[in-house]
Amino acid sequence: MQFRDDIELLRSRISILGYGVAIVLGVLVFGFWQLQVVQSSHYSDLADKNRIKKIRLVAQRGKIYDRNHKILADNRPSFNIIYIREDSKHTVEETIAALANGLGMSADELRQTINRKLKDPKYQPITLKEDAGTGDVAYVMAHTYELPEVSVEFQPRRLYREGHLAAHALGYIGEVSEAQLRENPDLKPRDMVGFTGLELVYDSALRGIDGSRRVVVNNSGREIETLPDEIAPIPGHDIYTTIDIDLQKAAEEMLGDRVGGVVVLDPRTGEVLALVSKPSFDPNHFAAGISSFEFKSLLDNPDKPLVNRAIQSVQPPGSIFKIIEAAAGLETDTVTTLDHEFCRGSETFYGRSFGCWKPAGHGTVDMYDSIVNSCDIYFYNLGKKLGIDKISQFSTMTGLGRKTGIDLPGEEKGLIPSQSWSQRVKRVKWALIETINVSIGQGQIGVTPIQAAWAIGGLASGGRLKQPRLVQPEQLRKIGFESPDVKFEQYPVKEETVEIVAKAMWGVVNDGGTATVARVEGFNVAGKTGTAQVVNKSSYKKGGDNEDHAWFVGFAPYRNPEIVVAVLVEHGGHGGEAAAPVAHAVLDTYYKKKTGHFNEGTAEKVARLMTREP
Amino acid sequence: MRFRDLWSDFDWTLFTAILILSAIGIVEIYSATKNSQLEQSAAFRQLMWICIGIVLLFIVAALDYHMISEQIPLLYLAGIGALLYTMAFGKVVAGSQSWIVIGPFRFQPSEVVKVLVIVAVARYLSELRNVRYLNVEQMIKAGVICGIPVALVAMQPDLGTTITFLPILGVGLLIRGIKPMTLVVMLICFVLALPAAWPFLGQHQKDRITNFVNPQQDLKGSGYQVNQSKIAIGSGGALGKGVFKGSQNQGEFLPTRHTDFILAVIGEEMGFIGVALTLGLLGFILFRIINTARTARDELGLFMVMGVFGVYCFHTVENVGMVIGFMALTGIPLPFVSYGGSSIIAVFMAMGMVISVRRRRYVN
Repeated sequence: MQFRDDIELLRSRISILGYGVAIVLGVLVFGFWQLQVVQSSHYSDLADKNRIKKIRLVAQRGKIYDRNHKILADNRPSFNIIYIREDSKHTVEETIAALANGLGMSADELRQTINRKLKDPKYQPITLKEDAGTGDVAYVMAHTYELPEVSVEFQPRRLYREGHLAAHALGYIGEVSEAQLRENPDLKPRDMVGFTGLELVYDSALRGIDGSRRVVVNNSGREIETLPDEIAPIPGHDIYTTIDIDLQKAAEEMLGDRVGGVVVLDPRTGEVLALVSKPSFDPNHFAAGISSFEFKSLLDNPDKPLVNRAIQSVQPPGSIFKIIEAAAGLETDTVTTLDHEFCRGSETFYGRSFGCWKPAGHGTVDMYDSIVNSCDIYFYNLGKKLGIDKISQFSTMTGLGRKTGIDLPGEEKGLIPSQSWSQRVKRVKWALIETINVSIGQGQIGVTPIQAAWAIGGLASGGRLKQPRLVQPEQLRKIGFESPDVKFEQYPVKEETVEIVAKAMWGVVNDGGTATVARVEGFNVAGKTGTAQVVNKSSYKKGGDNEDHAWFVGFAPYRNPEIVVAVLVEHGGHGGEAAAPVAHAVLDTYYKKKTGHFNEGTAEKVARLMTREP
Repeated sequence: MRFRDLWSDFDWTLFTAILILSAIGIVEIYSATKNSQLEQSAAFRQLMWICIGIVLLFIVAALDYHMISEQIPLLYLAGIGALLYTMAFGKVVAGSQSWIVIGPFRFQPSEVVKVLVIVAVARYLSELRNVRYLNVEQMIKAGVICGIPVALVAMQPDLGTTITFLPILGVGLLIRGIKPMTLVVMLICFVLALPAAWPFLGQHQKDRITNFVNPQQDLKGSGYQVNQSKIAIGSGGALGKGVFKGSQNQGEFLPTRHTDFILAVIGEEMGFIGVALTLGLLGFILFRIINTARTARDELGLFMVMGVFGVYCFHTVENVGMVIGFMALTGIPLPFVSYGGSSIIAVFMAMGMVISVRRRRYVN
């Protein structure tokens, strides 16, 4: 039967098709078996990576306080805009294009920021904008669906409450560099670390430990669940410094816009009461991610605001060196207080004429007169008698020409010359004529403000040198950090030497000397001015690059001092006019605080009253 | 037609398999859409479509398939009319003007037209008597019957639906008979035509093809869907993460998860067990259809059933293969399981035809 045969043929073809389908279905089931049974754990990991997002909980940095628990470095809440390439469905350029308008940054800026971190692993967030404004935050939050790769991160940010105040002591922080990451295994990428100042020195104490939280997110990056394994951030330790914010302010205000440095120490303990360097900078700008333009302008500024002049400006000490030299003369029995010289205004040594600052001459002067009136002729002669090596030996013993060991980075050690130094460094025999220059603190000699304060304070305290510290070891031990004791040196110096020198310095301030401006009624201030010549004097101009450096070192009370102040005003002119008033402001504030007459609002109150209409 | 006959001859086994699959579909459609703002009532709508589908299945199963065949010229023209109407007044969704809107419902006429084309091609092929192998003229005629609606669907343009029409012709011609030499020549022509067609493809389609060849190349872009689907399925493991607990599903990492990628949701939440059950039921249904075709009383029944087989076997293989990256990405739903009113209506009607043919089967 034709009909049946025909349909049988068709049926046989159907069977072949059936086998084919069976094979295909078998292959598909095998595919699922591979995915779900053989490679299941691999895909589970991928699924977790999809849904679980780790959020950094940034630890708060320890605060920095002054000695009276007034806050110097605080924290404030802020937000970062971060970009995680791993989460991105877009190319970098697409993301940049979508963000540029919303964040108010140019595409180039964003591109540069991203390119700098291009070598980092893709899961590592890139901070696109630090300290983002509410507008930026709102923009990013509103676009989580389109741009899940961009998100907002909370970060406590450093706030230096007083802005420029004590900036060089405090230092600043910034995002950790690659070099720092290599050196310190405790650091993680994107950490904020100290770059200089106390922020650098005590970084490990100040820096907290970041925590983390894992959240389950959906495809649009919205958090739908928080996993219970949150690790809370551990805030850094607060640090109490020895700085007295009132003295710091007094010094900074009086120094004003002039270039220089001020160091205030308590010679009994080595505590640094104030440390000023001008011009200053606002460390807040670094905390918020300083722009490269701003950083460059700080670097290029001819006044070098980033240099900490208090410990880094090495200048000839001028006449303040006479104190050390006088002591050296007495200690080596080279002179007695009764010896005197006759000052005609100039005298010839080694065939060259050296002048006194007072061309008319001081007449017959003994040691006391010579210190009070800063007679150069007396000290030329004393220096000649001592010779460079005795000067050098004694100066070094008092603390000059070496680091004081303050707990700040980058301290300069200054220069105290000697014959061997000349041979070793300059490879020439020491010229005796140089000794005459050095005798009045000129020529090949350099000290920093902190050395000046340390050495004079030490001498006035009877040869006691306490290592200057901004943070006392007991403060560090309280928060569980080891710290060596404050270094202490006692060099031999006769009581009468101290008495004579201190008395003469008292005379400088109180007996018609060169620094009567530094006088504080009732406080027995002693001091010495210095006016260090700038070598090239061809175009002398007040305030110019070739004007003299003004020095003043003072302490009070004149016996067993509790405070010593060193002031350097670079190109400031005469020490008595430029530097001594700064010391006066500090000593006056100190004395008022000590006697309970200080009111930190006084200055402002007076200013307000003056401007008010009657 | 007597109701008692329908009741006793009805293929309850096939119907049960269909119901279980539909139930799995509804559960996972609910799971896939419960967090979503857009498709909140999808599971309920699907249930409603399935109810309508069941009614249609019974109606079509109760009809004599010969009667459908007799009415096919009219129905065929009505189908063409519906496609032309869609072309003129249809709604554009995802770049294809393939939808007509009736009140709150959207409907894709092309899905139902597919069933009509199955019958039309079956009728043409079944009326060729005493033919061992088709000649070229016959193949072209069959091609035109299928080709007119295909062209209209392709112009919408809805490439995914277009290619689901092709198995009707393919399976029909293969069973009706093609000379082995002709088959070889056709295959060679097809292979040669592929590179020639490349420049005519849109970027979207090119992406899908290059991505199929190299799945790892663009995981954030064109490869995203298949990659996320594989992650969902793989992370489901043997036993699954539990219904409503799939992170890829609930976290909305899976694209079009209640429609094209519903099997990935099943794989994630019900594991290999769930996938094996789903594929087992689909495989059972396909072999039941083959069995029905082999036992069909006449060629018309045989070709109608094999047309249905061709279409839904292709749907199944393409969709299942796609979610694990074995097949290129296309918008073809998984029969009975994926969300979608038009495809549910079409597949239930098609199953009604299969049952209608089975009721009148030839039994030795």
